[in-house]
Amino acid sequence: MNRYRTLPALLPLAFLLLMVAAPLARLLQEGHAGFNLALLQDSYIQWRLAWSLGQALATCALALLIGLPLAWVLARFDFRGRRLLLRLLMLPFVMPTLVAGMGVLALFGPHGLSGMNLQDTPWLLLYGNLFYNLPLLVRAGVDGLEQVPASRLAVARTLGASPWRTFWRVEWPVVRPWLASALCLVFLYCFSGFGLALLLGGQRYATVEVEIYTLVAYELNLADAGVLALLALAVGAAVALGYAALERGLARPQRLAPTLRQPAQGWPQRLLLAAALAVLALCCLLPLLAIVWRALQADAAVWAMLATPEVADALGNTLRFSGAALCLSLLLGLCHGWAAQRWLALRALVFLPFMVSPVCLAFGLLLLYPQYSASVWLLIAAYALLAYPFVAKGVLSAAAALPPQLPQAARTLGATPWRSFYRVSLPLMRPALRRGLAFAAATAVGEFAVSLFLSRPEWATLTTLIYQHLGRPGAANLQLALLLSCLLMLFALLAFVAIEWPEKNHARAD
Amino acid sequence: MLNKSVLLLALAGLSLSALAAELRVMTHSSFSLPKDRIAEFEKQNGVKLSIIKGGDAGEMLNKLILTRANPIADVVYGIDNTLIAKASTAGILAPTSSKVGRTEKDAQLPGAVAVDYGYVTLNYDKAWFAKAKLPLPATLDDLAKPAYKDLLVVENPATSSTGLAFMLATIADRGEDGAFKWWEKVRDNGLKVSKGWSEAYYTDFSRNGGSRPIVVSYASSPAAEVFYSKEKISESPTANLLLKGGVFLQVEGVALLKGGKEPQAAQAFVDFLRSDGVQTGLQTKMWMYPAVAGTAIDPVFAHAQKPAKFSNPSLAAMNSKTAAWVSRWNRLVVKQAN
Repeated sequence: MNRYRTLPALLPLAFLLLMVAAPLARLLQEGHAGFNLALLQDSYIQWRLAWSLGQALATCALALLIGLPLAWVLARFDFRGRRLLLRLLMLPFVMPTLVAGMGVLALFGPHGLSGMNLQDTPWLLLYGNLFYNLPLLVRAGVDGLEQVPASRLAVARTLGASPWRTFWRVEWPVVRPWLASALCLVFLYCFSGFGLALLLGGQRYATVEVEIYTLVAYELNLADAGVLALLALAVGAAVALGYAALERGLARPQRLAPTLRQPAQGWPQRLLLAAALAVLALCCLLPLLAIVWRALQADAAVWAMLATPEVADALGNTLRFSGAALCLSLLLGLCHGWAAQRWLALRALVFLPFMVSPVCLAFGLLLLYPQYSASVWLLIAAYALLAYPFVAKGVLSAAAALPPQLPQAARTLGATPWRSFYRVSLPLMRPALRRGLAFAAATAVGEFAVSLFLSRPEWATLTTLIYQHLGRPGAANLQLALLLSCLLMLFALLAFVAIEWPEKNHARAD
Repeated sequence: MLNKSVLLLALAGLSLSALAAELRVMTHSSFSLPKDRIAEFEKQNGVKLSIIKGGDAGEMLNKLILTRANPIADVVYGIDNTLIAKASTAGILAPTSSKVGRTEKDAQLPGAVAVDYGYVTLNYDKAWFAKAKLPLPATLDDLAKPAYKDLLVVENPATSSTGLAFMLATIADRGEDGAFKWWEKVRDNGLKVSKGWSEAYYTDFSRNGGSRPIVVSYASSPAAEVFYSKEKISESPTANLLLKGGVFLQVEGVALLKGGKEPQAAQAFVDFLRSDGVQTGLQTKMWMYPAVAGTAIDPVFAHAQKPAKFSNPSLAAMNSKTAAWVSRWNRLVVKQAN
């Protein structure tokens, strides 16, 4: 370990200390006098904990089972619109939970287009979890599978290995670390999840985070909330450390001759491709289409409301806040990802922002920095906090796959460490960095940071505006909220395309 | 020369904006007033209003209690009669009164100044009941009968002040044990629980694609349905179901915060909320009735009814027992334990 790797760690560590550790500690200090572990013997709490764990694990298993074959098909076959599809896949991330819920119900609700009413069944709950989390796994799988060297695949096939055997012996070891990190994220999201699953599955399926939220925000019972938040943190930390250890053992440098995609040939391959696309559309894209379909039925008067200064301001704020958050995320993510390569704890810390109970964080920040509580800087820092792990994750995965000879050669030829990083390592990591940034943008545009922190009317983003209109009765409010959701999707899609703009000198740009 | 005068002008502008004091107003997330009224207030009082939204009313109050050592606002709007006793007990409010306007609603909000009021009650989907040819339930007990199975959606009182108000009304009417017996019966009759008003109204209410034709909402919601209809309609698609024990009077108000700055501007803001302009303007922005007696009511409110009766627990009971009631409700209804 050299200082060129440890020095950059100071920046994200300081950021995490100020934005996560200190506020959480302050909140725990406020309630620590009443800490009582007897709470954990309460059957109601035990039931919530068990359910949180169970549904998070079930979603991970399901996402892996469905997501890996889909990723394989997307990574191996070329077809028209493939790049657009990969970008569309990130849109579920951007959707406000309530709107996504309306999209799902438009398909599987009491008057759904499918004719099946699945509302309040566990099926719809798992579907909701897949809607948000499958894209994470599929994107990670595609990224990983594209790292498999073409020569190695060719050798395996020449030596007579079946496609199945080739997968297990050649592709699986390469893609495993990518999947592990995505699964870790899926678990953390579902474990502390508050959103779609609860909306679709009903209140019986509340997670432990809902309990923490009620204790903090409504009862101000910081003692019990503290115990639960620490417990949730411990579970998250165990999962993240487990992943970090696993990934360190798995990562290996790859050759720079990635496997090329080919068009599907013959009907079995075409059928496979069609089936994969159908499953993807069903899980992730149909609810979005349902929203667009419902929005397009809006009256002219509602369309005209899109031209108000209110909407223009919201669009401007969305652009400003997510832009600022992205700049900060890029800096933090690069530093954290680069420094964490050989440092197990730092690698696990990438996921810290997702391990801490969001409501505890929001109240802790309020307690610790009351004078900055309604400042735009704290807001942007909060956005960045939830966005930069994606950048760090991308850097980590890409750095692990870097061939060590190239930077070593640069150093031998007299380049400074900075120059070797800037001219050799960074360009090689650029595709992964851009993918991480696109996910970070999706997080920043979405609702994650907006609902828990103090806000000002003049900060209204598209997401806030959507929730504002859904806070009042009336058909015009509903239609405008749906139209605004379409605008949000369009904005996000443009952002994804701009961030992952194909590079001229790269044949394989996604 | 030109440069210098530009610089001077800029400096003058800076010092002016630095001179304009800032009044920090904490509100719940539904706060909304006409923009020109706010600009008028800023101009008249030489202050800049900083509206800070702190989430749902209950969450907002807890944020204020938590930061009382270093107050993050000077005035708070949106504390209602379910929360006022908690706010007073926590000692975060400074004595507040207003000489502007007269209202008997101030009595519901000791320690604060009443600004508006409304009623939490059941709404139903007219088209659904017409199509099902089902008579409307005449009492809350009807909702526990098989004919009304799977028809009701309520908000969880642990995450929604609307849901909390409805639960409090049932307790005030039937007493704690009687109310929880009723909740157990409606639970067994297919009660649906949603996180908040928006979720209940836009994903569960049959009017908006859900399966439940009865929803806990506000008595003013049918009027808002007319106001926000696509093509201007003359009759609301929803109506109130004003059943005994299912109506809660909610009074919202404004108060100064202890340790707040700008006490003069803060008092001016309190009076401003009671002024005729705001009392008229808030009606179709926040869908509440103006607290000041004699204020002209917007004609669209003809589509809403003012309930003749309501059931509220005493302020003292709401202060000391609400947390226990909410917890008992969740164990009974959500966890389905007895």
